[in-house]
Amino acid sequence: MKNKGYFKRVHGKWRLSLLGREAIAGLAFALPFLIGFFGLFLPMIVKSVSYSFSNMTVESTGYVLTRAAKNGFEHYIRALTIDPDFNRMLLQAIIDMFTKVPLVLIFSFFMANLLNQKFHGRAVARSILFLPVILTSGVVLGLESSDLLVTTLSPAEMSGTDFSTIINVSGFLLKYTDLPDSAITFLASAVNGIYSIIIASGVQILIFLAGLQSISPSLYEASSMEGATAWENFWKITFPMISPLILVNSVYTIIDSFTSETNEIMKDIKNTIFGEVKYGLGSAMAWIYFICIGVILLIVGSIISKHVFYNDER
Amino acid sequence: MIIKHKKRAKQTHSLVGNTISLALLIILGAFMGLPLVLAVCNSLKPLEELFIFPPRFFVRNPTFKNFHDIFVLMSESWVPFSRYIFNTVFITLFGTAGHLFVASLCAYPLAKHRFPGRNLIFWLIVTALMFSSHVTAIPNYLVMAHLNWLDNYLSLIVPAIVKPMGLFLMKQFMEQVPDSLIEAAKIDGASEFRIFTTIVMPSVKPAWLTLIIFCFQDLWNLQGSNYIYSEDLKTLPYALSQISAAGISRAGATAAVAVIMMIIPITIFILCQSNIIETMVSSGIKE
Repeated sequence: MKNKGYFKRVHGKWRLSLLGREAIAGLAFALPFLIGFFGLFLPMIVKSVSYSFSNMTVESTGYVLTRAAKNGFEHYIRALTIDPDFNRMLLQAIIDMFTKVPLVLIFSFFMANLLNQKFHGRAVARSILFLPVILTSGVVLGLESSDLLVTTLSPAEMSGTDFSTIINVSGFLLKYTDLPDSAITFLASAVNGIYSIIIASGVQILIFLAGLQSISPSLYEASSMEGATAWENFWKITFPMISPLILVNSVYTIIDSFTSETNEIMKDIKNTIFGEVKYGLGSAMAWIYFICIGVILLIVGSIISKHVFYNDER
Repeated sequence: MIIKHKKRAKQTHSLVGNTISLALLIILGAFMGLPLVLAVCNSLKPLEELFIFPPRFFVRNPTFKNFHDIFVLMSESWVPFSRYIFNTVFITLFGTAGHLFVASLCAYPLAKHRFPGRNLIFWLIVTALMFSSHVTAIPNYLVMAHLNWLDNYLSLIVPAIVKPMGLFLMKQFMEQVPDSLIEAAKIDGASEFRIFTTIVMPSVKPAWLTLIIFCFQDLWNLQGSNYIYSEDLKTLPYALSQISAAGISRAGATAAVAVIMMIIPITIFILCQSNIIETMVSSGIKE
């Protein structure tokens, strides 16, 4: 498209060009979402920034914001230089993320490829692999962790091994085999690592699966005619076609890893805000954390999107 | 078409490969499946069997008493139990339908149109993904209070409709739709909305069926107790979590609740997944 302008001159009057009409149609389509988004999400974000620079006191009529000391940066300085745990936890969260995200991506891509093949019981296999998403959300998780069988027995039975709530089940089964204790501990921690990755990849598997399913079979047919092997098909067709979703999934996994409830730093922020009722400090911590995520996301996103293949560039 | 698929399947599958992938699936599937089996077994166990030591995995004397208990417990509540079910179903249906429609409507121009500020809008939405619910909890409440949406279905449905994640997903999928398909429709005189409904949406069917699964799952588990005070507007997860709050005496009913909460999302998942078939994104194109 050569014509860059949104308007053009016709018989001395300015009219919308084709591009301009397309732009307006585009904006009209996006409008419902944008109204909701800017109406609901943006005010929250702006308010949260203003809290992080202020001291909040609650009075009977509402809350009062006063500017925090040191030009409003008091909470930020406190979180970074005075709080003994914050920096350590921040670093830990970032390290965890970098070890976990590639594993989750590789695992979920692998599983999606397996599940995309045609075999009997494919629907059952897919449903089973989606179970963690259901099991780890909301009420069910709350119920599982309040499950008395698990909670009352696990401290005594499983001391020394760090089981998440659901893995306790597998842990129990191991306990009643005749393996020595050290072997159980090793197995349990290894399995726990695998488990946390599997549990974190339910959504990603589905996204990849949907991506694999929208690749046209005719592409494979054409390449098979030309004599390509399955290996070549994978790297020359599947991989480029799925690359936009690798971007989606890495963004999703990074965010999911950073904002999960089990994250130490998230617990700390929650505790600062709702436990100690220091909303200013909590917001400041959240914003430091958020900026770190943002920078990492920007770097990772720009690296990956350079290699993303789009069907046709505009 | 069917014959072609079979041929392809034969070509790419060897016996060894099949066995390995099947074995992997079974091992991993066992990991995933065990908690569900345990949850179902637990819900069928009579109370004395729940507390037996050493604990048993499988149930010996299955009973439906736990499920019966839920209905007895729930018949004593202030509002009829069906009211909670209605609330959750209402919120879930409208939230999911609204989110699917609004997010894909917005994703289409973001993926396929050019207008000023397109990238800015997109990146703002992606940044919004990063905020966790704890940080935004209080501002969110204030926004809802300002809009007078507290104690109203709107406070649960509207935020669900404009969640950023669905938009992000749909946009990435829509970018894969070939421009030539859209241009061909335009030349044939289709309006933008018609292109959206008859060309773009059918080609990204796997995407929105997946989106339905995610959104439904989120909303089905929504407690919403931050915004809803009236008993007759409260959601099913909230009501059910009250059962487990009673502790050790309700252990059986709690196990049954877990099963009930899981069944519906799993059903939706199976329905959506079985509807996903190979789409014809670029099969109608001769370059």
